[in-house]
Amino acid sequence: MTAAALLEHYSKLKEEALKKKEQEQKQPLIMVGTASCGIAAGALEVKEAFLKEIKKHKLQASVQEVGCMGYCYAEPIAIISKPGFPPLCYGNVDEGLVKLLVQSFLIEDDPCYEYALVALEPNDIFPTFSDFPRGVYEHKIIMEHCGFIDPEEIDHYLVHDGYAALAKVLSQKPEEIIEIIKSAKLRGRGGAGFPAGIKWEACRKAAGEEKYVICNADEGDPGAFMDRSILESNPHQVIEGLAICAYAVGASQGYFYIRAEYPLAVKRVQKALQQAREKGFLGKNIMGSGFNLEIEIFQGSGAFVCGESSALVSSMEGKMGLPRHRPPRLTSSGYRGKPTVINNVKTFSYVPAIIRKGADWFKSIGTEDSPGTAVFTLVGKVKNKGLVEVPMGTTLRQLIFDVGEGPPDDKQFKAVQIGGPSGGCLPESALDIPIDFDSLKEAGAIMGSGGLVVLDEDDCMVAIARYFLEFTQQESCGKCTFCRLGTKHILDILTDITRGEGTMESLQILQELAEDVKDGSLCNLGKTAPNPVLTTLKYFKDEYLAHIMEKRCPALMCKEITLYYILPEKCTKLCNVCVGSCPTEAIFTREDGIKVIDQGKCVKCDNCRKTCPPEHDAVVKLSPAILPEEGGEKK
Amino acid sequence: MELLKGEKEAILKHTKEIFQEFEAKRENLIPILQEVQKRLGYLPRLAMQKIAEFLGIPPVDVFALATFYNQFRLNPPGKNEIKVCMGTACYMVGGKIALESFERRLNIKEGQTTPDREYSLERVACVGCCTLAPVVVVNEQIEGKVSPTRVDGIILSLQGEKSKEGEEANEDTKEKLKGEKQ
Amino acid sequence: MSREITITIDDKKIRTVEGKILLWVALANDIYIPHLCAIEGKDLPEASCRLCFVEIEGKNKPVTSCTQPVYDGMVVRTRTAKVDRLVKTAFELLLSDHRLGCASCPKNRNCELQRIAKERKLKLRHTRFKYLGRETAVDDSPDSFSFDPSRCVLCGQCIWADHEKAKVGAIGFARRGLGRTVATFNYESLKDSPCTECGLCVEACPVGALSFKKNT
Repeated sequence: MTAAALLEHYSKLKEEALKKKEQEQKQPLIMVGTASCGIAAGALEVKEAFLKEIKKHKLQASVQEVGCMGYCYAEPIAIISKPGFPPLCYGNVDEGLVKLLVQSFLIEDDPCYEYALVALEPNDIFPTFSDFPRGVYEHKIIMEHCGFIDPEEIDHYLVHDGYAALAKVLSQKPEEIIEIIKSAKLRGRGGAGFPAGIKWEACRKAAGEEKYVICNADEGDPGAFMDRSILESNPHQVIEGLAICAYAVGASQGYFYIRAEYPLAVKRVQKALQQAREKGFLGKNIMGSGFNLEIEIFQGSGAFVCGESSALVSSMEGKMGLPRHRPPRLTSSGYRGKPTVINNVKTFSYVPAIIRKGADWFKSIGTEDSPGTAVFTLVGKVKNKGLVEVPMGTTLRQLIFDVGEGPPDDKQFKAVQIGGPSGGCLPESALDIPIDFDSLKEAGAIMGSGGLVVLDEDDCMVAIARYFLEFTQQESCGKCTFCRLGTKHILDILTDITRGEGTMESLQILQELAEDVKDGSLCNLGKTAPNPVLTTLKYFKDEYLAHIMEKRCPALMCKEITLYYILPEKCTKLCNVCVGSCPTEAIFTREDGIKVIDQGKCVKCDNCRKTCPPEHDAVVKLSPAILPEEGGEKK
Repeated sequence: MELLKGEKEAILKHTKEIFQEFEAKRENLIPILQEVQKRLGYLPRLAMQKIAEFLGIPPVDVFALATFYNQFRLNPPGKNEIKVCMGTACYMVGGKIALESFERRLNIKEGQTTPDREYSLERVACVGCCTLAPVVVVNEQIEGKVSPTRVDGIILSLQGEKSKEGEEANEDTKEKLKGEKQ
Repeated sequence: MSREITITIDDKKIRTVEGKILLWVALANDIYIPHLCAIEGKDLPEASCRLCFVEIEGKNKPVTSCTQPVYDGMVVRTRTAKVDRLVKTAFELLLSDHRLGCASCPKNRNCELQRIAKERKLKLRHTRFKYLGRETAVDDSPDSFSFDPSRCVLCGQCIWADHEKAKVGAIGFARRGLGRTVATFNYESLKDSPCTECGLCVEACPVGALSFKKNT
């Protein structure tokens, strides 16, 4: 099939989509962000409210569901496009705001700028993304359309050159496609950063006719949700990337391996696959090219270890998700023993743009060895939480303090946890390292799937390390000795330390064991599991020592060595808020009217400290757990 | 776990229907288990045996998967399923406190079901709504920013719904629970 | 693949065939490398016990010999500081979940753990890592043998014998992580399982987890 014929075929489809879009733009359009996080914040109620108000006022306007644009802290979010105005984005929308917007903006042409977050197109009235610090650093490639198109509407993707890359490659030789991806130096976004082009080439060259392509959407890192967000916001982009890969390696069957915990992502991908089939982008003889491709969804059953490629394949074959020794690599012996490419959601998402705009364009963004962008979930103690896409090479400081605007409530930044359970905690002094695969690895963390949790002075680094080890220990498949038993002993030692029961000897064993688990484990889950321990030991040893030597948790987070105390000089005696807030009736009133906590009953739930009126602020946490008056230790 | 009256028939009926949708191939084992659990709420022993028969594999191989993956449960769940997210972001801002509050209020530990089978409590890995931390999933509905006070609110509203359902539904469950054990 | 090659293990020159697995080549030439889970002839090795580490010249980290094919000119060391450290830790980890008390163990003097301890001069007691002492129940329902999970090292030899040699399918791995265990369907007793008491799994067990009863 010639390139011209393919282009003609594609152009027709795009033409239809554009016409439909034009029709849509003639009347006001309201877009509500309904990815999982938006829905949890009440987006569906917002959508209903818009529909109700529009009906009530008998207006000509349509309401659409779109995905997530990454401004999670402002959910629910709505975008209103009205002819004559730039499209405007509103945050924290509730029913009251809906009523106001419909009345003032839709009916009376007053866009209520005081409630608007940002305008989506350049204009001379209201600032756009690029006018904010975040906009300066952000460079969206794979999130470009997320939150601005209806993920359940293939035409919306087509309008933005969707499937143009697929139409383009089908007239080219598969080897040429692999060459482009190799030359673009696209590295796998699943964690380790293996070059995608080299993986594809190995699969292409592997013997055998039957080959498979799998999109790994078994996102399991606690604190990371970008894969979910992309699948919920722009599933066609991932499908197109996967289809191009399938064509390049010579596969006619592809799979999406999606966590069962992501029902909305499953639903939207399902719908997208069906639409792609209807338009002829999937199925037999795609766009008349002779290329066949079917894509199915496989739902993961809740095992973190299945994010590891060989375990993922094993679970697809109806077995326990146990990793195996490699080689043989999956590109020579993968699913059903056949050559298989497994790439992450984000990796596939870059492919259409690279094909359309070229390898040089891609390499012009980011750093030399890690071109392109990085997508992070910026969460934890940071003002602007959300999904961020920045060029590789941006520093952690820029990301946390400029894009995220640092910790809220004037708290002191302490560390940033990158890469989830396989990553590490980096201190203030490491904030100027550029974000790329190699620099992060050198610092002891990893890019991982891009979870980025900001920690402040209230977060205990030993407790954080313990939290991650508890996670890996629970998620270990149990196959190999180091991971099954090593992580258990690491966890036990950490638990002792957080309880003030650690010793210098156990600290030494902790260090040795963590190193051995890293070197001795079978798969990457085990090999990286000690990273949270090794990095905190490296950068925050003083906190370990405070727990061991003084039984003191500097962040006042470890319950066993911290107690709650009501400062008599601050307690007003008159209010009873703390007494009422206590779930275990541990607070009583002393004869002199001062409130006192019965340490034996206190479960340290923090309720009293939160509810004590700020003008008194009488409840404090103390570590070591020694009451000031008596001076005696209490547990 | 003893089967309730009529449960055996239900298991046989559902597995039979499910087997018509799938080829008898080992790689369909997880999808089949998912479908069985979707319909029956858990994986009864009898269903696992039937699946093994259908696929021509030893029952112990089915059991292996049922016990390996988090998603599968071997015991019936509570009517209200409460899952507390233990992702990093949630843990940092009080996920554990929320979990402990539920444990105290329901008088069960995580992984357990109340004796009246009304509530079951679980911890889950990140549900991907980190910006709303701490997050709790109540009957598939995501609740954000769950403080101990909110925990009380959630339980109250579930109890409210229960009484709203009216006597009819209640009678029905009681009947079921009373039903002769097989 | 049948090219004759020469490799060197601990300064000993060995003639062998290209592509064979290093562990078996070493063992066939009387060079001991600790191992529990390796099964000759299994196409994808388990590589789960993590005891058979060796160092190969040109590689910066120890590798498991059960996964390593031999090639011409390969130079192998079975005892280096790095290897010994990993083997010691793996061994101590396994012991931390293994009920000791060799004197009362039916496999006393015929146990692979004892052999490893002797060969590598490791202590048969809980040292750096405390004994986990998890509660398990002995299944002595079969007439001819019994199963004591507290002595099981999860090598998988019994499951291989049951599935691949006896072709019965009475036992398999269940659960995951620390909970991983050799189990029957629904944790029912071996007597109620399809077990035929052929004894192959008991013969395969390298430690005292599966043992024949004395007076049968």
